[in-house]
Amino acid sequence: MATRWLGAPIKRNEDPRLLVGQGLFVDDVQLPGMLHAAVLRSPHAHARIRRIDVRRALEHPDVLLVLTHGDLPPSLREPLPKLIPHPDLKHHKTQYALAPDKVRHVGEPVAFVVATSRYAAEDALELVEVDYEPLPAVVDLEEAAAGRPALVHEDIGTNVAAHSVQRVGDYEAARARADLVVARRFVVDRGCASPIETRGVVAQWDPRARQLTVWDSTQAPIPIRNGLAALFGLAQKDVRVIAPDVGGGFGPKIMMFYPEEVLVPLAAMRLGRPVKWIEDRREHFVATNHERTQIHDAEIALDREGRILGVRTVFLHDAGAYIPYGLIVPIVAECTLPGPYRIPNYHAEFRAVFTNKTIVSPYRGAGRPHGVFVMERLLDLAARELGMDRAEIRRRNFIQPHEFPYDVGLIYQDNAPLVYDSGNYPAALERALEEVGYCRWPEEKARYRAQGRRVGLGFACYVEGSGIGPYEGCRVTVEPSGKVYVATGVGTQGQGHATSLAQVVAEALGVDVGDVHVVTGDTGAFGWGTGTFASRAAVVAGSAVHLAAQAVRQKALQVAASLLEASPEDLELADGRVRVRGAPSRSVSLGEVARAANPLRGVIPAEWEGPGLEATRYFAPPRGTFSHGVHAALVEVDPETATLRFLRYVVVHDCGTVLNPLILDGQIHGGVAQGIGGSFFERLVYDDSGQLLSGSFMDFHIPTAVEIPEVEVIHQETPSPLNPIGAKGAGEGGVIPVPALLAQAIEDALDDLELEILRMPLHPDALFELIQKASRRTP
Amino acid sequence: MKIEGTETLHAPRDRVWALLDDPQALASCTPGMQELRPTGPDEFEAVLSIGIAAVRGTYKGKLRITERTPPERYAVQVEGSSGAGFVRAVGVLELEDQGAQTGVRWSGEVQVGGALTLGSRMIPGIARMLAGQFFQCLDRKLQEGSA
Repeated sequence: MATRWLGAPIKRNEDPRLLVGQGLFVDDVQLPGMLHAAVLRSPHAHARIRRIDVRRALEHPDVLLVLTHGDLPPSLREPLPKLIPHPDLKHHKTQYALAPDKVRHVGEPVAFVVATSRYAAEDALELVEVDYEPLPAVVDLEEAAAGRPALVHEDIGTNVAAHSVQRVGDYEAARARADLVVARRFVVDRGCASPIETRGVVAQWDPRARQLTVWDSTQAPIPIRNGLAALFGLAQKDVRVIAPDVGGGFGPKIMMFYPEEVLVPLAAMRLGRPVKWIEDRREHFVATNHERTQIHDAEIALDREGRILGVRTVFLHDAGAYIPYGLIVPIVAECTLPGPYRIPNYHAEFRAVFTNKTIVSPYRGAGRPHGVFVMERLLDLAARELGMDRAEIRRRNFIQPHEFPYDVGLIYQDNAPLVYDSGNYPAALERALEEVGYCRWPEEKARYRAQGRRVGLGFACYVEGSGIGPYEGCRVTVEPSGKVYVATGVGTQGQGHATSLAQVVAEALGVDVGDVHVVTGDTGAFGWGTGTFASRAAVVAGSAVHLAAQAVRQKALQVAASLLEASPEDLELADGRVRVRGAPSRSVSLGEVARAANPLRGVIPAEWEGPGLEATRYFAPPRGTFSHGVHAALVEVDPETATLRFLRYVVVHDCGTVLNPLILDGQIHGGVAQGIGGSFFERLVYDDSGQLLSGSFMDFHIPTAVEIPEVEVIHQETPSPLNPIGAKGAGEGGVIPVPALLAQAIEDALDDLELEILRMPLHPDALFELIQKASRRTP
Repeated sequence: MKIEGTETLHAPRDRVWALLDDPQALASCTPGMQELRPTGPDEFEAVLSIGIAAVRGTYKGKLRITERTPPERYAVQVEGSSGAGFVRAVGVLELEDQGAQTGVRWSGEVQVGGALTLGSRMIPGIARMLAGQFFQCLDRKLQEGSA
């Protein structure tokens, strides 16, 4: 009897190793003769560098190398590569390996010191003298858009990097015939991912083999390899980039390049010794990319039945000091905003603006939380104005299950049309409302109120774009031991790829999942791929794994057929063996088949297409696939202290075919926790001079187990027609609707105060102020 | 951030002014001041060792007297930096004639960067403490001088 592996809630293959401390993170890489690097970073948000004097640092007995911009080879003196260009991105300014004449955010690298120990390197940083001429800092987003008080990049004459408009239908005409128009300003402030493992790079240069090996906590080892080869004039085959165990990625680790990713290899090549740099937490707060700040001026036009006629959002996106990653975040925001609703007329317009702050690139959600916050808030406000139930207004506007594929009419981040492939939006909402007890809620709420408790029910709907191209690949090999080795180019940052991808293979080959060993993120093992981002690994790499495993299956049947003198159609794979169906004594192990496929003498039939039980396949989806879901929660608000407690948290989630529900639950739990943190506890606060005031865990409050509720997850499965396994992405759904849900729940809990929550994150002191202001208004 | 405070010094205003006008007296009363070297008219180079929150450092910097209205008003500009970050500040002292004693109103605007920002919420408290030490020292000198 064949075991079903796909969809089974099996425990993770990688956990025993990780739980006993046998993981290999970048900082675990120890090489003989290894040196250590430290980075001198700008303490100013905006300043001209008048002079740098490194003489005293070089005199330090333990220092071997000090680099400033002028010491770099020509290819590294230029701005680092532009990723993801876009026709609307007029000024694609990218960061430098080391600042040439001006610094544009606190934390920007100015000098790089290599010494025999990190202690010595840090000491030597203090010996580098930099004479700065401080310039006015561009901090406020609206001021920045107007070119005040300074220009981040003088040569372009503006702080606006891009102006982009997407239109569906005619919003103005829709507005003119609307019965109700609701307009508000919505603000989402900066946030950051805070992975447990900060960034790190180790590089080793072998001058005899002329090979460079780099261990890098990146989400995209293959593009890093290709980029390093180009910058250093090496063949791609002579650069090996390994993203070993990575302790959380969440998006910021897909940047290319962070300066240290080129400086560490450069130092290793110059010195002929391995060099290590591990980011400390204080550096991480200013030197690893942030996300989130956007100001949306949005409005919704409806008829009196609550049907949406049109939506408009005009917004500013804070890009930070440079914009290497292009317009992905604002494009995803505007494309996520329509969500599960039919919006016949839509106007989305944004300007991406340079400021003197840390660079912005996608962080889990990547614009999606903004879009959902704006849309769900507009619907809540409209329902209030129309005196309509907030669930009913959504029901009236849902795209219906028979309408797929549904063309939203926009162009998505992958430059492909935004077409929803499949889904069932009404079912997800009804299930969530049922779970959280929405129809009994008025009585329940009154009961709480009678006890003097303020409890609100909130819910929010979203559609999550995922699984975009261009492609991923995979090689599946069965060795004579019968063990199966799988190599793919995506990196792994805790998502359990060694298990879920192994399940895809186990399903195809009829082997135990424990006998499938998955290698990810090592360009030496597999050299084609783009990386782990946009909730795409399970979808795109998973499909490539499936195709490769199916090809190996066909070959196993072919080879075994000759061994067993049977026809391939009469064979089956199970329990690691190929058997003649109905005659179980006639069987051969998969290992024996692998050996037979690679004979020492004899002939390999042409139809085997080469030796061995091995196949490599690629999967390139035509466009992204769209998951969806609804979160619903009961939230208790203490109006005296403005703190929150979650009494229930329910997630109804549809990401197509579920590969491993246990791993999926983990993705969602973690996402909800990160969403709650980013909506209520964590804040990146800048002062007027561009200094980050909350750059430590003393002030940036990551929620703990105490603040995070138990999350109840319900899976619905509407498979995607766009890939062979029917999977959709699940990496970001936990985070996306949390701000919208929280706002609605708090407003419901304090409905007598008629609060309007239009800004996220909302932290206790901001909520306290809102409550105080509202209490004065409604005595 | 803006910081301000008031103090009373137990000497007539002219004597207070004379003391404030003496760089060496100022240096000896400034907490953590290790060196104050004139580099031009009303310009000095200073080395200062102080701790702000968890961050202790030795700051090298420049001090410039930007306004001097005897015996009423005195304004300075300070810029310093260390491995721990930088401090930039402007300060104004106003002296009020109260006969045998002098009222001092001081205010400052401070900007910090680098690791120092981690402790920036504590700077007003620390500044007030340092100012308190500074004026106590001046007062002691004034009283010693009159004794």
